[in-house]
Amino acid sequence: MIQSRMRLGDFDVRIWSGGAGPPLVYLHGFEHHPGAAPYLQRLSGDHQILAPEHPGFGASTGFDRLTDLQDLILYYRALVEGWGRGPVDLVGHCLGGMFAAELAVLAPQLVRRLVLVDPYGLWLDDAPLPDPFLLVPAALAAVKWRDPACAARETSAFDPALGDTAAEFRTINLTAASKFMWPIPDRGLARRLPYLTAPTLVIHGDADGLTPPAYEAAWAAALPHARTAVIADAGHLPMVEAEGAFIDLVEDFLNEAPWPRVPE
Amino acid sequence: MKFHWFAEATYPHLPDDFPARGLSSWVNTPTELMDPVKVGETYRMFIRLMQQADRDGFDGLAVNEHHQTPFAMTPSPNLLAASLASTTENAAILIIGDSLALYNPPTRVAEEMAYLDCVSGGRVIAGFVFGTPMDSVFAYGNPPPELRDRFHEARGLILRAWEAKEPFAFNGKYTQLRYVNVWPKPIQQRPPIWVPGSGSLETWDLVIDENYCYGHLSFSGLHSAKPMVDAYWDYVAARGGDTNPHRMAFTQLICCAATDAEAEAKYYDAVRYFYRMNTLDPKFTMAPGYTTIRSQQAMAAHLRNAPNLRPEDRARAQKGEMSFWEYDEKGYIIAGTPQRVRQRVRELAKDLRIGQLIGCLHMGDLCEETAAENTHLFGTQVIPHLRDLWADQPDHWTPPISQQRIAARSSAAPKNVFEAAE
Repeated sequence: MIQSRMRLGDFDVRIWSGGAGPPLVYLHGFEHHPGAAPYLQRLSGDHQILAPEHPGFGASTGFDRLTDLQDLILYYRALVEGWGRGPVDLVGHCLGGMFAAELAVLAPQLVRRLVLVDPYGLWLDDAPLPDPFLLVPAALAAVKWRDPACAARETSAFDPALGDTAAEFRTINLTAASKFMWPIPDRGLARRLPYLTAPTLVIHGDADGLTPPAYEAAWAAALPHARTAVIADAGHLPMVEAEGAFIDLVEDFLNEAPWPRVPE
Repeated sequence: MKFHWFAEATYPHLPDDFPARGLSSWVNTPTELMDPVKVGETYRMFIRLMQQADRDGFDGLAVNEHHQTPFAMTPSPNLLAASLASTTENAAILIIGDSLALYNPPTRVAEEMAYLDCVSGGRVIAGFVFGTPMDSVFAYGNPPPELRDRFHEARGLILRAWEAKEPFAFNGKYTQLRYVNVWPKPIQQRPPIWVPGSGSLETWDLVIDENYCYGHLSFSGLHSAKPMVDAYWDYVAARGGDTNPHRMAFTQLICCAATDAEAEAKYYDAVRYFYRMNTLDPKFTMAPGYTTIRSQQAMAAHLRNAPNLRPEDRARAQKGEMSFWEYDEKGYIIAGTPQRVRQRVRELAKDLRIGQLIGCLHMGDLCEETAAENTHLFGTQVIPHLRDLWADQPDHWTPPISQQRIAARSSAAPKNVFEAAE
C-alpha cells in the first residue's frame, strides 16, 4: 500500500492504494483513516485497493465545498468514476458504511458488491446510540472494543510530520464527521435503502457498543435481500479484533458465484 | 462610559451538595431539582430589579440567551426584554443576545427585535451571539462546523430584512424565503449591534470588519481577561480597526455596601453559590469544530499568559474556596463601599480599555433586598462619578434616545460638587 494524493475538482485528498485484482474501494469510519492497515494489506493480496481519506479528515481538503450529504456522495461517485476501473466492490466501515450505502443507492452502476461493517446511518428511538462525540477516551474504549487492549493494534493515518498534534488531528476528523453524525447519525438513509440493489453483506462485531445489536436487526430488516454476519468476540472494529474472521467473511462474499442483483 | 445592569437568571434553590454529586449545571441537569413556582418568583424579582435599575440611572438592561441550565434560565432573552420594554423609560434594552443559528427562520429575530424597539421607543441594542457549545450544539443540535456559517447567513438576512424597502426573496443555504417583508421595522432603522465572543479570531475579524461592539463576557474578572483583551486591542490596532473603548463590553460582578465588612457579610454566600453551582461538565464545553484550531491555539496561549491568575486559582474560584476578599483581589468581584468600587471600576475600565461595563448586580442566590441596595448604590454613588471616563470619545454603540434621556436625567439631578471633583 502506498500513500499519495488525488486531486478531483476542488478536492485534494490523501489516498492509500495498492494490490492487484478486482477493484475495491474502502471508506473509513468517523475517527480517522486507518492508513496502511494490516487488513487493507491483506485484502490487497486479491484486490486492487483504493482507500481515500474523506474530505475534511486529516490532510484531505474540500470540506468547505460540502453543504450536505448529497454533495459528498456525488464527490465519491466522481472519484470512483475517475478511478476508471468500472464497477467496484465497496467496503464501508462505521460512518464510511453510511457513505457506501448512499453511494450504492445513488450510483448502482458503480457498485458490484457492497460490504457494510458496523455501519452508521440508521436510528432507533427505542435503542438510542451512544453519543460518540461525548465519550471520554475510557468510555469510548469501553463501547468500541470487546477487549480495550486491542486498541494498541489499531492503525491510523496520523502523521506528526504534517504539523498537527494528535489531539488536533482528532479534532479535525471529528469536526468533519459531525457534519454527518451530529446530533444524530441519521441523514435519511432508511428512506433510500429500498432502492439499494447491489448484493450486500452487513457485518457486525457482536460486542460493538457504538452500533449495538439492535442495529444488526434494523439493518437486516431494512435490507431483506442482504446477507448479515456477526463476528464473535469483536467490537466496533472487527477487522482489528478478529482480522482473520473478517477477511474470510469479506473474501468469501466477494468471491462467491454471481449473485443476482435485487430485482428493481 | 456606560453601565448596564445584568444578572444571570440563576435558579437560587439548588441543593448544597449539587457540585459534590457531580451534577452538571448545563445540558442534562435533572429537572426534578426545579420548582416552577419558584422559577416564576425568580423571574419576577429580576424584572423588578431591572425596572429599578432604569430608575437608578443605568444605561442599559442586559438580557441573554441560554438553554437547559439552572445557571441562566433565559431561553428567550426577547421575552424578558418584552417585560422591560414597556415598563421602563430610559435605559437601553441590551439583548446580548439572540443566538442567530437557533431561530428558524431567522427573520424571527428581525421581527422580535423590531417589536422591542417599537415598544421601547428605539432603545434596543441588537446582540447577535453564536451561543455556547452547551446551548447551540448540544441543547439545540447544530453540527458544530455549520454554526458560524448559519450565524452569518442569519445575520445577513436580518440586516437586509431591516433595511429593505420592498419584499425580497432570500435563497440561503439554510433558509429559503420567497417573501421577506418584516412588520414591524425597528424605530432605529438599524439598532446598534454587539457581538460577544470568547477569543475566537474569526469573531474578532467580524467585529472589526463591521465595527460592531465586541463583548468579553466572562465572570473571571480583570486578571483572567487581561491577556486576551490586550491581545484583542492589539489585533484591532494591527488591522486598522476602530479603537474607541465604547465598542468593548465587559462583565463584572459588583458587590456594593455601606461598609466593606457589610459587603462581605451580605454577598459572600451568594458569590460562592454563583461559582460553585455553575458546574460545567468539560465534555459539553468542547465540541469538535466549535472553535477553529487556529483560535484554540491563540486562546490557550492567552490562558497560559495570565501572570496574576494561576490555574489553581481558577479551580479554587470555581469551587467556592476563595475568601471573599481573595475573590476581590483576583478580580472575580469588585466589592466594598461605593468609594472603593468606583475606584476599582475606574482602574478596570482603563486597564482593559472598556467603555461598556455590564455589571452583574445580582449573583447566585442573593436576596432581592441586597440586590436592590447594590443597584441603588451603584446607580447613584458609583456611575455618576465615572461619567468622565472616555467622555472625549463618541458612543455609536448605544441607542441615541437612551443617551439623551439619561444625560437629561443626570443633569437634572442634584450634584455633590465635592465628590464630582474627584
